[in-house]
Amino acid sequence: MLRARIQPLRLSGVLSGVLFAALSTAAAFVVAPSAQPRVRAFESDGPSEGRQDRPDFAAARAEGLRRSAYLTKAAAPSQSSTPSSTPSSTPSGTRDTYGNELEPLLRAACYRCHGPEKQKGSLRIDTLDPDLEGGDDADWWVDVLEVVANGDMPPAGEEALADADRARIVEWLTAELHAAATARRAAQEHSPFRRLSRYEYSYMLQDLLGLPNEFGDELPPDPISEAGFENSADVLHLSTSQLQAYLESNRAALHEAAALGPRPEPLYWSVSMDAAAAAEWPRLSRQLEELRKRHAEAPETLEAELAAQLARNARRPGGVHFEDRSNERAEGRYVGATWGYDGAKRAFAPSSEPPGPLADATCVAVLPADGGLIVELGDRLPERGWMRVRVRAARASADDTRPVSLRLQFGWQASNDSNAVFKVSEADIAVDAPPDAPQDYTFDIPMCRATPRNLARGVNRMGDLPSPSEYIKLLNASLAGRALHIHHVEVIAPLIEVWPPKSHTRLFPAGTETNNEDLRARELLEAFMARAWRRPASADEVARKVRLFRSLRAEFDTFEAALVEVFAVVLTSPNFLYVASQAPDGAPGSALDAHALATRLALFLWCSSPDEGLLDHATNGTLQRPEVLAAEVDRMLADPRARRLSRTFVGQWLDLGLMEKLRVDRKVYPGFDDRLRAALVEEPVAFFDELLRRDASVLELVHSDFTMVDERLAAHYGIQGVTGNEFRPVTLDPALGRGGLLVQAGPLAMNSDGTDSHPLKRGVWLLKHILDDPPPPPPPAVPTIDLADPEVLKMTLKERIEDHRNDPACHSCHAKIDPWGIAFEEFDAVGRRRTEAGGRPVDAASALPSGQVLDGADGLKAFLLANRQDQLVRALTHKLATFALGRPLGLGDRAHLDRIAREARRNGDGLATLVKAIATSDLFRSP
Amino acid sequence: MKTRPPVDMATIDRRRFLRGSAFALALPWLETVAAAWPTSREPDAAEGRRQRLACVYFPDGVPMPLREDPAFEDWSWFPHGSGKDFRFTKCLEPLEPLRDQLTVYSGLSHPLVRNVHGHSNADQFLTGGPTGAKGEYRNSVSLDQVYAAHVGEQTRHASLVLSTDGGTGTPRGAHTLSFTRTGRAVPAEHRPKRVFDALFVKTDSAAAQRLALSRSALDDLMEDARGLRTTLSSQDRETLDEYLDAVRAAEVKVEKAARWANIPLPVIAADHLKLEVTPDEPRLYVQTMYELIYLAFRTDSTRVATYQLGRENGIGRSDILARAVGFPLSHQLSHDTKEPGGWEKFGIYCRFLAEEFGRFAARLAATPEPGGEGTMLDHSLLLFGSASSAFHLSRNYPLVLAGGKDMGFEHGRFVDLVGDRAFGGSWSGGQEPWQREFDYEDTNLADLYLLMLRRLGVAAESFADSSTPLASV
Repeated sequence: MLRARIQPLRLSGVLSGVLFAALSTAAAFVVAPSAQPRVRAFESDGPSEGRQDRPDFAAARAEGLRRSAYLTKAAAPSQSSTPSSTPSSTPSGTRDTYGNELEPLLRAACYRCHGPEKQKGSLRIDTLDPDLEGGDDADWWVDVLEVVANGDMPPAGEEALADADRARIVEWLTAELHAAATARRAAQEHSPFRRLSRYEYSYMLQDLLGLPNEFGDELPPDPISEAGFENSADVLHLSTSQLQAYLESNRAALHEAAALGPRPEPLYWSVSMDAAAAAEWPRLSRQLEELRKRHAEAPETLEAELAAQLARNARRPGGVHFEDRSNERAEGRYVGATWGYDGAKRAFAPSSEPPGPLADATCVAVLPADGGLIVELGDRLPERGWMRVRVRAARASADDTRPVSLRLQFGWQASNDSNAVFKVSEADIAVDAPPDAPQDYTFDIPMCRATPRNLARGVNRMGDLPSPSEYIKLLNASLAGRALHIHHVEVIAPLIEVWPPKSHTRLFPAGTETNNEDLRARELLEAFMARAWRRPASADEVARKVRLFRSLRAEFDTFEAALVEVFAVVLTSPNFLYVASQAPDGAPGSALDAHALATRLALFLWCSSPDEGLLDHATNGTLQRPEVLAAEVDRMLADPRARRLSRTFVGQWLDLGLMEKLRVDRKVYPGFDDRLRAALVEEPVAFFDELLRRDASVLELVHSDFTMVDERLAAHYGIQGVTGNEFRPVTLDPALGRGGLLVQAGPLAMNSDGTDSHPLKRGVWLLKHILDDPPPPPPPAVPTIDLADPEVLKMTLKERIEDHRNDPACHSCHAKIDPWGIAFEEFDAVGRRRTEAGGRPVDAASALPSGQVLDGADGLKAFLLANRQDQLVRALTHKLATFALGRPLGLGDRAHLDRIAREARRNGDGLATLVKAIATSDLFRSP
Repeated sequence: MKTRPPVDMATIDRRRFLRGSAFALALPWLETVAAAWPTSREPDAAEGRRQRLACVYFPDGVPMPLREDPAFEDWSWFPHGSGKDFRFTKCLEPLEPLRDQLTVYSGLSHPLVRNVHGHSNADQFLTGGPTGAKGEYRNSVSLDQVYAAHVGEQTRHASLVLSTDGGTGTPRGAHTLSFTRTGRAVPAEHRPKRVFDALFVKTDSAAAQRLALSRSALDDLMEDARGLRTTLSSQDRETLDEYLDAVRAAEVKVEKAARWANIPLPVIAADHLKLEVTPDEPRLYVQTMYELIYLAFRTDSTRVATYQLGRENGIGRSDILARAVGFPLSHQLSHDTKEPGGWEKFGIYCRFLAEEFGRFAARLAATPEPGGEGTMLDHSLLLFGSASSAFHLSRNYPLVLAGGKDMGFEHGRFVDLVGDRAFGGSWSGGQEPWQREFDYEDTNLADLYLLMLRRLGVAAESFADSSTPLASV
């Protein structure tokens, strides 16, 4: 039984200092109501049994608010009292603990062979420098740690080292080495000067050219920084071959945008489902014909066989099929929809003339949930531009009025061993028309999204093998139960609403110079360079590009083609590819240039270039005025481009890439599918985005009364009444045990091993990403859990982990990690709630070394809300600021982070408030 | 752009080429610069030894009759015996004269696709990439392109990429063995005339102009970088120096390429070649493709070549190559082994493939190394093989490695890494061999590729998923 304790936390060694720095002052008390078997940070007043027994999160939050140092202390907190992720060990403290605690242990265990008398293995321990950060002997200490942790030293025959002493040595060295490494990194000065990341490059080109293409695809992938970010100055290098990749990528992008060729002629496909079904009915006619032939001599048998066959045909097939609604067809009312690539026989030919309006069909295609109808279009879809697909459709049910989700896929099959089919529509269309009044629905699809194309196109002829033909596929993307009627499909490609396209006019806007090519080039280059380089180009810079244009001009038939080549050079220039803090005429070390501030803002909030409004403020010198800056942040956050912040930041912050690596055991989780996988990654992003939009408290990341779901995820959670594949906020029933990021199925699943939960992964993930308190990596060569041991196999996972912790080499670290993960044992490997694991009731309670019990996810969340609010806000501030600045943060940035976190807390903890506090901070506005 | 004479480059990535234009910057890929060494060019001292690599692929696997089958003795593709003590069956008998200049390997394959149908695996024969069975497709760089990146600057063409079917093919249905560093298929040329013209006839009159343009673009970028540099702290200058280095490296490539503009094309008498030949005359077609590789090597126009004899799965023109030995279609032979005489028919076809590969190797063996010691074969590594063995099973690839004595290869062996565990027999319905579970694993073929790269002088730490070269033999 645990004592209820109201006492300062014992800081046993530096590692505890790391983990519990937040508790040391801000929340130095662990509260328990009374002496009870399970100490909860907070409990509701209700009955203490059953699932309804949930903590009162609001009360926990209110209590945590009272304990906030940020809110209660007036002055900037001193370093030691700051809730901080950065170890605050001081060298003197280290030496003291070394002299008092470590040295006697080492003297007794090691010095006889590694001291003044003997130096076995050339190692002498008594003279090693215990200052791991400043001294030169860290590598030797790593060796010492390894052999002690392993149990290799002292060797057999020497006096054995007591378990407690071994644990003490391992703990001290592990913590010190970690602290030293962190401190060394933090002490470095990090410049924000860097090249663009691949995704920033892509978004910038999209915004600059007005095209939706994924422009970074041809570039090598970027490395990920120590802190988990892809836009970090310390890792964004440039290899010698990369310059060529940029140049080629830029040229391709510009040619796509400039569209210099002649105006293409659109093609039209108009496919009534009557025509599509016409390929299927003969199959039924032949069946009947064969019966007539076979039983020609036996009229009675014939009659019976015919009746039986017609009865079969009268039954509705299970898959995608056609239904003749006139019901006057001799073959029957239904026929299955089939398709084969062979010989491209099912391709519909296009026309160069616009067809009439979409019409109701007598034979409708019926698509049950998850069913797809292929409409083969042949080999004449264009390379680029847009494709418009119009579909006359309706729900199949008159009674079930829920809309049906229609999705568009693109695909091809060249041979039996080479095919592709994938989604090209951005969002599903909700088909809500009743069956007797179908409506027309439209998809506009950029051809760049139809990648990969069929490479046999243009090489082979229609009918050849491999087949060069391509198709679209209309997919009923609803979950079970709701079928869809298709009447008519029309495709226009390329869709030309204006020629030349807007992307051309952006590069070649109407201007004043029409006769003189050099002057016209100067005018266009000046405008393009200002947008591309995110600042006005100097007269010299423009003049040099005009000279380049002149030297290239003779090689090209047209003015535009030559200029496109110069544009490609502009985009390969370091003035585009690198993010600088100074204007070209600025001196090193001067204040952050207004244009550089505009770029930094745009990269933070939009992952892209500043728009015209922002650049104008920079040019006018108004951007640095606090009220203008604040207004610009508001404007930018309200812009749809701010969704990129949610997507990229959350993906990197929470390491959502783990989801891709997760291999779910389909034998254990047969219901797990790709749609669920996609939804699991989307929820944290959509949730963050919603908090940002509402300026809701960042503490809602720990617990919230709503979450974001689509139909698939709602089914996973057991939430009723959610229809459709778009994410929307839903209020959570407390009985579901959800609320907040930590119990979203995505983070829980991606930190499982695909078969069962994985408390260690979950614990490490929480410490690293949410509390910004990464535990040290395991010492080299520590023993792993021995699954060959039958005793071990009999244990529950939690017991195995606790057994593992009994190993002295493992204990010290695991004692501080495991409880954070064990608390989530109520969730299985795909994040579903469970009460049993391996046939035994789930036990999700575990005590931290402080004695604080984290009892289940609810207990953990309540504990965080009551005791760790400052740490949570500070952690998110640190992550967001690292992303915003595009560089690792060091010791010199710590006070800034505290000021920002304090400001956000004092203004109500809103997520948008925090983002704004960062964007308007001194830290953000200095070079 | 102004109209220029057509450039029929066998080795160029068309997609890149079609973008055309001012930048001959991309010279490792864009080897369009005209002209080449004179035929009898002697290697200069600084250049070191010439070392070549040719990789040849055939689809559909090889005969693997069971031990108790009467066809086992004569028509097993793999030799009988092992080590130095082995004897060829009739399948590889044509290679007997070259016995001491080659090694036959068994028991090698790429780990990532062992459970994928062999028909999907030509794509990864030279890459070891994760090409998978279906869905999203990814590949990685091929062995030849790694070597071409190392040696390509020394010749007019970085590499020669040939196949009977031409183009790139489709994912998991490749018509090329070569893939770029980002895993993109390099289109292969299938018309002998185009290959010959690119090597010995056509010059690219615009190349010199393009070089000049590249120079101005690079000069301009250098000036931009210098201008930016003056505004930076010393720490940031170090960061920007990577950019300056990249510009300089590109300039060096431009200047290297510029040399070729002044060197005339090699003069080759084409009297012995029928350049309009198609697979309708299968033996002559295959011989012509090999001869073009030989001539490219002989004139030092390139040191890297790949040739995919056929697409997998009997799709495309290449399927009629079996007509060289009187059978209608090649792929069908691998299915008909359950019929009486089936192993022999399939074996006769494989013997034809061995004859022509042997003819090519023998031609190199009969030619003294220009300006060097020994024969051209001693300085050339020739890889000949397929990505499946018994009926579409993607294990135990049939492989012959010939030549390269000068690189330290000792031959005359059958390195049998699979032994009696080799899976064989014909297929007569039901579960296919590739769907079986196996209780042993092959050796990683990338280990052999890594060994080849190191012997070719590439300081590669790893290739595909291997960082340990096959223990040399």
